[in-house]
Amino acid sequence: MANVRIERLHKEFRGAGGIVHALADLTLDIADGEFISLVGPSGCGKTTALRIIAGLETPTSGRILFDGRDITRLEPRDRNIAMVFQSYALYPHMTVRQNLEYGLRKRGAPRDERARKVAAIAAMLRIEPMLDRRPLQLSGGQRQRVALGRALIRDPEVFLLDEPLSNLDAKLRVHMRAELAALHQKVRTTMVYVTHDQLEAMTLSDRIVVMNHGVMQQVGRPEEIYSRPANRFVAEFIGTPSMNMIEGQVRTEAGRPLFTGPGITVVLPRDAPQALPSSGRATLGIRPEHVSLVAPDAPGAIPARVTVSELAGPERFHFVAVEGGSIIVRTPAATVLHPGETVALGFDPDRLHLFDGTGEDAPALR
Amino acid sequence: MPPRNAARLYPLVLLLLAFVAFPLYWMASTSLKPQTEVFRVPPTFVPETWTLRHYVELFWLTDFGLLFVNSLKVCLVSTGLALVVGSLGAYALARFRVRGKEAYGRLVLLAYMFPGALLVIPLLLLFRQLGLTNSHLGLSLAYLTFAVPFVMWVMRDFFASVPVDLEEAALIDGASRLGALWDVVLPQAVPGLIATGIFAFLFAWNEYLFALILISDESLRTLPPGMMRFVSTTDTNWGLIMAASTLATLPMALAFGLIQRYLVTGLGAGGVKG
Ligand SMILES: Nc1ncnc2c1ncn2[C@@H]1O[C@H](COP(=O)(O)OP(=O)(O)OP(=O)(O)O)[C@@H](O)[C@H]1O
Ligand SMILES: [Mg+2]
Repeated sequence: MANVRIERLHKEFRGAGGIVHALADLTLDIADGEFISLVGPSGCGKTTALRIIAGLETPTSGRILFDGRDITRLEPRDRNIAMVFQSYALYPHMTVRQNLEYGLRKRGAPRDERARKVAAIAAMLRIEPMLDRRPLQLSGGQRQRVALGRALIRDPEVFLLDEPLSNLDAKLRVHMRAELAALHQKVRTTMVYVTHDQLEAMTLSDRIVVMNHGVMQQVGRPEEIYSRPANRFVAEFIGTPSMNMIEGQVRTEAGRPLFTGPGITVVLPRDAPQALPSSGRATLGIRPEHVSLVAPDAPGAIPARVTVSELAGPERFHFVAVEGGSIIVRTPAATVLHPGETVALGFDPDRLHLFDGTGEDAPALR
Repeated sequence: MPPRNAARLYPLVLLLLAFVAFPLYWMASTSLKPQTEVFRVPPTFVPETWTLRHYVELFWLTDFGLLFVNSLKVCLVSTGLALVVGSLGAYALARFRVRGKEAYGRLVLLAYMFPGALLVIPLLLLFRQLGLTNSHLGLSLAYLTFAVPFVMWVMRDFFASVPVDLEEAALIDGASRLGALWDVVLPQAVPGLIATGIFAFLFAWNEYLFALILISDESLRTLPPGMMRFVSTTDTNWGLIMAASTLATLPMALAFGLIQRYLVTGLGAGGVKG
């Protein structure tokens, strides 16, 4: 086991289409035994980061350290890492047993040790009956477990997983997610987990790294990322349905900070934004669960018209039109609204997010 | 194709088969007829009298056995070398990021298509200086001019179709580059290796020009030029020649029998499941 330090990592790909900046100045400390997730939209550099840690790709600049040792130039086989690929990458011509054993064999483990470890891993992952089958004769979930087993069997210092669950159907995914969590509890190896499923990241991780265009946007505990997003990008990326965003101005009136958007005026809690944006342009964010239906004559009530109501299990998402656009409201399933109906909305003043400016990565004002 | 249409094609297939197979049949049947029956008019389609005399003569009176062994040696060596060198080259072309890779790949195809007749004289001059004329190794090397580009051309697609993930998994599991190639990539490419290997072998087995010009020592001769002497030196014993031809065809027939399975999945490259 090891802690991992990623230091000022840059990666450029030069191709026919010019230069792609896949990673820009990524610095990150991962504690020994930590489960850390990298999330972000497609192409944001998650896989690239993982491949550089694995040694499958060399960084343009920057260093990787395991327990203080600089391993940036080491070959993958000299790093004592294990990786689970999105495609599983099981060796198709080998049986499950041979797949599991391969890494041990390459490191010269004697026969009885190999047999012992295969037995232990197979028992832990419940794949004993399949040891003599080939990967093509396994179901997706079974292949997934074999891929995990092949990585686990070597007691790696660092465990790298690249969207290991994305090829599974929804139900199996939830199941394997729980297994993965249990597994981490058991082995306590440092795990770096790449996913673009934020639910996976939220449920599994000690900390989450949110990335966009190769740049780290925020790193923090799941609840921190959710309740205190560092910028507009993180706020919108994390959470389904995503946070409502209203663009407008902020000014101070009679000593109180006031946000005004199209048809909306919200009095901000006095202590909330310490520094107001100098330009006066700002984006107000509020999660669907923090918007409530209020009486039309309540102070600050925002008039809106229901466009669509969706039932999602125990809750409902209502899409309502306000003057400046559309807002999503999340309520218990029992709250039934009909399209065309007019309602009044109230924002929970303690759950407002205010961002400096209206750009994609407008920083949060605190 | 639905079976009904397939059935309609049978007559056509049979016709084609007859056209291609008849000379082979004639060769084999002539080799089993006594000398007197060979020239009979009208000819007999099935030998009236069966005899193995020509085969016995072939081994007792001519150096056919030697020619056969020489050919086998040269072909096996050149095929082996072509597979090793060609596969490594093909792997590099398929995997590594090298400047000018595409241009080089096209050059390989050009080399493969270059007429051997234009190569043989420069090769002869070169080989004389290197002392590689009149040597089985030399002839094997000469065959590589055709076999290596061929292997490279076909195996490149095979290697490209093996998922990179597999190799990277092996690298992480502790293999070296070559180790990953050997443990993980080659097993996926076995059908391609077999198919290209057999083709390279057959090319060398049938090759006449290089064999004639690069080897002048009678004891080192290979089959194609060696058999030509049967035509000129004796007053052309057709039964004998047909016996020799039949035996010389045998490895090819065997090879094609073996290859068939792989031709379908194999040469269609990408027939490898990830
Ligand atoms: N070998 C390569 N050559 C050129 N560009 C590359 C290469 N690998 C990745 N890129 C580019 O680098 C950027 C980051 O890619 P990366 O694979 O890390 O994204 P990702 O976050 O894993 O995306 P996804 O969620 O789709 O897997 C992308 O713009 C991609 O096109
Ligand atoms: Mg990826």
